[in-house]
Formats: sequence, structure tokens, C-alpha cells
Amino acid sequence: MSDRNENTNAHEGPDQRFVGLLAQFEDPHTLVAACDAARQAGYVKMDAYTPFPVHGIDPAIGIRRTILPFIVLAIAFGGCFAGLAMQFYVNNDISTLGLFPGYEFKISGKPYFSLPANIPVTFEVIVLSSAFATFLGMWALNGLPRLANPLHRISRFKRVTNDKFFLMIEDKDEHFDRSRTEGELKEWGASFIEECNEDLTDHKLPAWVRTAGVMVAFLCLLPPLVVFRMSGMTNRAPRMHVVPDMDWQHKNKTQTVSPNFAPIGTPDYLFADGRAMRAPIPGTIARGNLVDDSEYFYGVQEGSPIAVVPKSGLFTGTNAVEQDDPPAAPADGAAAAKELDWVTTFPDRVTVDEALLQKGRERFEVYCSVCHGYSGNGDGLVNQRALALAASGNSAWTAAKSLHDPEVKNNDKNPVGRIFDTISNGRSSMGPYKDQISIDDRWAIVAYVKALQSTGIEPESTVADAKAKE
Amino acid sequence: MATTVDQLADNTIEDPELRAPLVLGGLDYEGVTDAVCAPWEGKLPRVWWAVLGVALSLLMMLGGCVGHLLMKGVGVWGNNNPAYWGWPIVNFVFWVGIGHAGTLISAILFLFRQNWRTSINRAAEAMTIFAVVCAGLFPGVHIGRVWAFYWLFPIPTEHLAMWPNFRSPLLWDVFAVSTYATVSILFWYMGMVPDIATFRDRAKSKIAKMIYGVLSLGWTGSARHWHRYEMAYTILAALATPLVLSVHTIVSFDFAVSQVPGWHTTIFPPYFVAGAIFSGFAMVVTLLVPVRKIYGLQNLITIRHLENMNKIIMATGLMVGTAYGIEFFIAWYSGVPAESYAFWNRAFGNYSWAYWIMVSCNVLIPQLFWFKFCRTNTVMMVIICIFVNIGMWFERFVITVTSLCRDFLPSSWAYFQPTAVDIMMLIGSFGLFFSLFCLFCRFLPVIAISEVKNVMPESHAPAGH
Repeated sequence: MSDRNENTNAHEGPDQRFVGLLAQFEDPHTLVAACDAARQAGYVKMDAYTPFPVHGIDPAIGIRRTILPFIVLAIAFGGCFAGLAMQFYVNNDISTLGLFPGYEFKISGKPYFSLPANIPVTFEVIVLSSAFATFLGMWALNGLPRLANPLHRISRFKRVTNDKFFLMIEDKDEHFDRSRTEGELKEWGASFIEECNEDLTDHKLPAWVRTAGVMVAFLCLLPPLVVFRMSGMTNRAPRMHVVPDMDWQHKNKTQTVSPNFAPIGTPDYLFADGRAMRAPIPGTIARGNLVDDSEYFYGVQEGSPIAVVPKSGLFTGTNAVEQDDPPAAPADGAAAAKELDWVTTFPDRVTVDEALLQKGRERFEVYCSVCHGYSGNGDGLVNQRALALAASGNSAWTAAKSLHDPEVKNNDKNPVGRIFDTISNGRSSMGPYKDQISIDDRWAIVAYVKALQSTGIEPESTVADAKAKE
Repeated sequence: MATTVDQLADNTIEDPELRAPLVLGGLDYEGVTDAVCAPWEGKLPRVWWAVLGVALSLLMMLGGCVGHLLMKGVGVWGNNNPAYWGWPIVNFVFWVGIGHAGTLISAILFLFRQNWRTSINRAAEAMTIFAVVCAGLFPGVHIGRVWAFYWLFPIPTEHLAMWPNFRSPLLWDVFAVSTYATVSILFWYMGMVPDIATFRDRAKSKIAKMIYGVLSLGWTGSARHWHRYEMAYTILAALATPLVLSVHTIVSFDFAVSQVPGWHTTIFPPYFVAGAIFSGFAMVVTLLVPVRKIYGLQNLITIRHLENMNKIIMATGLMVGTAYGIEFFIAWYSGVPAESYAFWNRAFGNYSWAYWIMVSCNVLIPQLFWFKFCRTNTVMMVIICIFVNIGMWFERFVITVTSLCRDFLPSSWAYFQPTAVDIMMLIGSFGLFFSLFCLFCRFLPVIAISEVKNVMPESHAPAGH
């Protein structure tokens, strides 16, 4: 031991440390023989360096089989599980799993998870993970990348990637003795022997590099700082749109004026009349807009004028009368309504049966009960609240009619056609519902209202009167 | 110092007593290194500049087309009802197929201990990667909104609240092609590290020393490193072999899993894989014949190497020809009218011109390789291989377009016509491919130096050692 120390000390300068002896050989066979001899001589900390994998060198130098295949196998099993689990998770809606639930694609009733369909992707995930495990595992086990290596300081060693073969015996080896080892290497056929020294000089970075580094680091901090600052501010400008995508499209909306395509001079519109869309051709009816049954569509007898028809070219197929100034005021409407010839029985298209009444009840409870109450007594929640507000003088409110009021119940005054019209166009302070409720549903409500009225429920005012009498 | 004593001027002659040498010209280890490094160290040949110039201008055209497509939308292509898959998918399958030969040479021939692969595998692997780049371009821009490409991958997003459908072959394709590209790059780079180290040790300029120094990861050629390296190489080869078969199988699923007559056939996976290897080897020969001439690598990429590849081209060409025949037999034997019509229409319908170009290029012309003269004459083999590549492009065209233009609904039948953008993008993709290949030839080792040295006779220990 002391010998070795003396020897090594002799070669150690203040800025370098002796690492070992590097011997050059001219052909692979000599190298393998030398490795074999070195191992038999008792050297352990040694390595051979060759331009290509020399076969037979592993046993000669005493290299044990790598565990790399087992690492890859473990990763491959993991990849198999991960691939299957990913597909199971992604195509099954597991909402309980937090922020990103899976998405179920409903395709011809096929199962969301079926092994045959999931094999290809699982296979690819296995191959990808195993390939990375092989690649990264190999470099990690080899201790690479290693960019500073004392071997690279020896100019002769540059030929290791070309045509020369090297054996290095390290100073750390128990058996190492500089002069003896050198002699042994010569004996085994080394053509050159060089000492390998590690450079211990402290290579400090120049000052300007550090200054530049600090400045770059500071500049890199600016964008996140700006983002952080902006996140707490309000801004009236619209959000920046990097990719407009489909948010703004080159199209004209309905009922708009056509853009003028002519850059200068005579305007050039999409259509001659300056519109961006076409009006229907006179005398034609759009599909679904044929109104050919005044009993069903308006609740009036065939041939009678109807209550309110807005002036337009859209309804030209029936006896609907166009009015230049449709009666806007409800009072006028009520006055005009008396002269109309209401239907007193349900139109032919409407079949009154259990199903229609159930449908009417359901629609009534959705649309009418809020004011008129579930039993039609005019005690809906909106009515109660509005009356309370009106009582305190905060607003004006005409109370909703009780449907059991004798006036309302009177079949002569309010035949089914009239009730239909009331639902469609409203009356007094009640608004029109023809845009919300389909014609069939309106007739169903009419039937339900008639059924309610024949239940014998007494209007609330009558009950109150009776109570007062008592 | 042993040298390859090589009296044979022609290593294509089989002599049972001698193992035909793979390195000619009496090169020793240093000679091999010098031969591969010479084009990198020496002055660039004028041809290289010419090829790179043409390739770069075609690449610029491709860039212009892609920009135009992104601004206008995929309507600039000829794809339209009913041929929603037009040239983009044809080009995609064409390029992916070409890539397969590289992996076949580097992985499958490695597992079969075919030592002649060593001097061609590097260039073939590079070709694989560049071909996959070209292939990935077409579906990449076909998705329309390229800026949303990440929707292809299962990435959790709050605003989208959607995931890819893992039962769709198109998604399998995303996984297969991206895995293939990644594994090919890993395999290629890992194989190249010892040779980059050679470049590092021979580099003159400081920048080159630094770049190759970093890329070579501090490789020293340690026996312990080589041991793990060889193990890793074997594992990667074993992984890449099923991978390469899976990739074109999955590409063929894009077609075969659908219901369209002419696509819905079980023969597609093997037929596509054979076609891919066929076209890929043709491309390797087309590339390597000029490269070995320009770079003076005739002693490393010998006529024997080229002849071996030509034999594979002939074998896979026969497989492809058999598949064409079997398709027709099954169409008739199945008794399905739509299927029978689809194949009758291919051969005798309005696309028959494309079909017969395909048959003559893929089945008839490769038969010339039965003659040794054609297998060993570089000019002849390049001409034949170019015909093979034309034929394989038409094969994908015939499969894609004829079936789509004659589907189940006669009222939607149409005749596909490409636009100028279609044509310019196909030509431009060759610009992309050749630009990358030229840069590869300039800056990286074209031949796997350490692997070639490993198969030289003097590398093997004498018997009894």
C-alpha cells in the first residue's frame, strides 16, 4: 500500500490526480488475452475500451450479465396495465373519479370496454414504454451521459473509436502497483502505456456568463409576473382570440341588410333589393305553415273572421282575415271577440279522451297553475304574491280569474273556442301563450279546464261570501 | 495488423468453401472508419448541393401548400363526397410503408443474424424516420384545425370534457404511428452513438467537437458499456420487430374495419405489410445506389448487399402479386355482389388505368430480378425500384379511391379528381424527404462503422481461444 502511495504521489501534481494506467493494444485478440491475464493476476478494477463489441471479452474481464432485460420486463408489464387502465378510464363515464370523468361513446350499442378493440393501443403502449425503458435504462446503468472523463484527455485514446484497443487498470485496485502493473501490461502485449490523470483544476465560469445568466433568469420571471398581475385586474377589452376558429364566420344573419361588395361606386348587394335573404315567393306556403282549419287553428267557426292576425304574407291559405291594425288593446279585443263565431265543440282533429285530459293537466300545471292555481281557483303563487304586493301599494295587479267563477263557467259566454283563443292570444291582463304552447297542447288544456269547471268546485269568493253569512 | 485479404473482385459469386466478404477493397478497421468519415471530412460533392437545392425548393413549395391549406381549409384538396379520403391518405400510407424497410433491416435482419445488414442499416433507419415524418404530415394537416392536434391524444381538458374513442382504428393509428416514430428515433440514435463518438474524436472545429461531444454522451467504448449496449440493442430489435408488423397492420385496419366493398377484407394486414417492405426496400436501393457512388462507399455497400435487397424486393413483390390474385378469388368466391363488383370495377371500371399501372409496376416489372444481370446492375435496379415505388403509390390510390367512389349508394358515385395542391403536396413531400436525407448524409455517419467492423473476419477470435 505504501509503495503504491509513493508511486502515485510522484505523479500527482497540484491540479491533477492519478487515476490509472492505460495500455494500448493493436488487435482484439491480444486485448482479450491481456484481459484474461489481468483477471487471473487478480485485478478487478479494470475495463477494456474497444471500437466495437469484442466477443469473448465479457468472461475475460469478468463482466456479469446485465439486469436490463428484467427492468424492461417490469416496465412492459406496467405499460400493459397502464394502457388497459387508460382505455378503461377514458371510455367509461366514472364521474366519481373527480375532475376529468371519462366519456362514453355510444356506437351501435357496442361495449365501452372490449379487449379485442383495446389490444392495438395496449400493445403500442407496451412497446413504447419498454423502448424507453431499454433506452434510458441502458444509459443509466452505463452511467452516461458523462461529459467529463479523464480518458478523453489522452490524445492516444481518440483512436478507441477507430482502430485501437485499450485496457485500463485503475489506481483504486487493491492489487495495483504502478511499476509492477506497467511491467505486466508490457508483458501481455501492450504497445503503449500511458498514465491517466484526472484534472482537478477548478474551471470557474467567466464573470460575464454569470451576469448574463442572472439577467436571463430575471427576464424569464417577467412573463409570469405580468400574468400574475393581470389575473387580478379587470379589463373591458375583449379577450384576445389567437385562433378565431368558427367564432366569426363569413355569413349573413337572417333579416339583415346585405353587405356592399363593391369597393367603390355603384353598390353591389347579394340580392338586388339589398337584403341578405330572400322573401318567400308570393302564393307559396312554407312546409308546416299551412293553416287550413280555422276551428282547429283559431277556435272559430268556418267562414267567421278570426280574432287577431298580424299583417303579413305568411298566412294566405285560409279564410284568415288580414287586419291592417290588429286590435291591440285587450278591451277592444274583448269587444270584438263577442261578435266572433266561437266553436262550441272540440274541432274534429282533437279527440277528447283520458290521455288528452292527462296531457292537459300536465300542461295546465306547467303554464296556468302559477296564476290560476292547481284547482283553477285563481290562487296560484304568483297571484298571491302579486296581490300582496298590490295591497301594499307597490304595484298594480289585476287578480287572476277563478276558473270556477260563474261568468267564466258560462258556456255561452266562454265556449271552448273562446277559451282556446284566450290561451292563444291572452285576455285582459293575461298574456298570449301561443308561442309557448303548441296547438294540440292548448286544446288539451281547454279540455282540462272544462273538466275542472265541471268538478263542482266553488269559487273562492262564493266560499268567502258563505263564510261571511255564517 | 490484419487486413481483409480480398482477392474476390465479385462477391456475388457463391463459393461454398468461403464466406463471401462483406467488406471489399482490402479495408482494415481504420480503412472502414476513413471510408465512412471521408464524405464528412472532405469537400462536399457538387451533386449534393444540387440535390439539396432542388429538395429545398420543393420543400418550400410544400410549406406554401400547407400554409395555403391552413388558411383556406382542406377544401383546397380534391377530397369531396364520396372520396373523403383522397391523396392525403394515399400519401400517408405510401410514406409509412416506405419507412418499414428501415426497421426490417435494422431489427428483423438483426434477429436473424443477417450480417450483411450492417452497412445498410443506418441509412435505411434514417430513411424510416424521414419517411414517417413525411407520412405524419398528411393526416396531421388533414385534421383541419391543426392547432387542436392535441385532441388526438388522451389529454385531460376541462373545456373539452371529451376523450378519444379507443375503439376507432383511426385512433389506433395515432398510437401506432407515433410509437413507431419514437421507437425508430430511439433505435436510430442509440445505434449511432458509438459512431458519433468516432466523429467527436475526429472533429477538427471547436463547434463540431462540442456538438458531437454532447451527442455522443461521453461514449468511451468500455467493455461494460458495450455489454449493456448490445443487450439494449437486442431488446430494441425484439420490440421493433412486432412493432413494425403492427404499424402497417393497424394502418390497414383503417380500411379493413370499415364496411366499404373492397376494404372489408381480412387479407389486408399481411398484404399491407408485404407491400410496405416491398416499397421500402425499393426506396432503400434507390437511395443507396447514388449515395455509394457519390460518397465512394462501393467497398462497404457492395453489389452483394444490393443483390440481397433485390432478392427481397422480388420475394415481397410476388407476395403482393399473390395478394392481388387472392383478393379477386375471394371477391368471386364470397358471392357478395358489392364485393365482386368492387373488384371487377377496379380492373375494368373507370379507374382501370390506375389498376393496370399498379399491376405492371408491382407484379410484372420486378420479375426482371430473376435475371442476375438486373439484380447486379446498378442502373437497372434503380429503374426497376423507381417503377416499384410508382406502382406502390398507385396500389394505395386504387385501394382508397376506387372503393370510395363506388360504395353502396350508386347515387353518390363520382370520379375523384386531385387539385393542383394535391399534386404539389405529393411532390413537395419528396422535397421534405430528400432535404432531411441530404442533411443526414452530410452531418451523420451514413454507415454503422462499429457494426461493420464487428462483422469483419479479423474481429473474430481464432478458433480455440
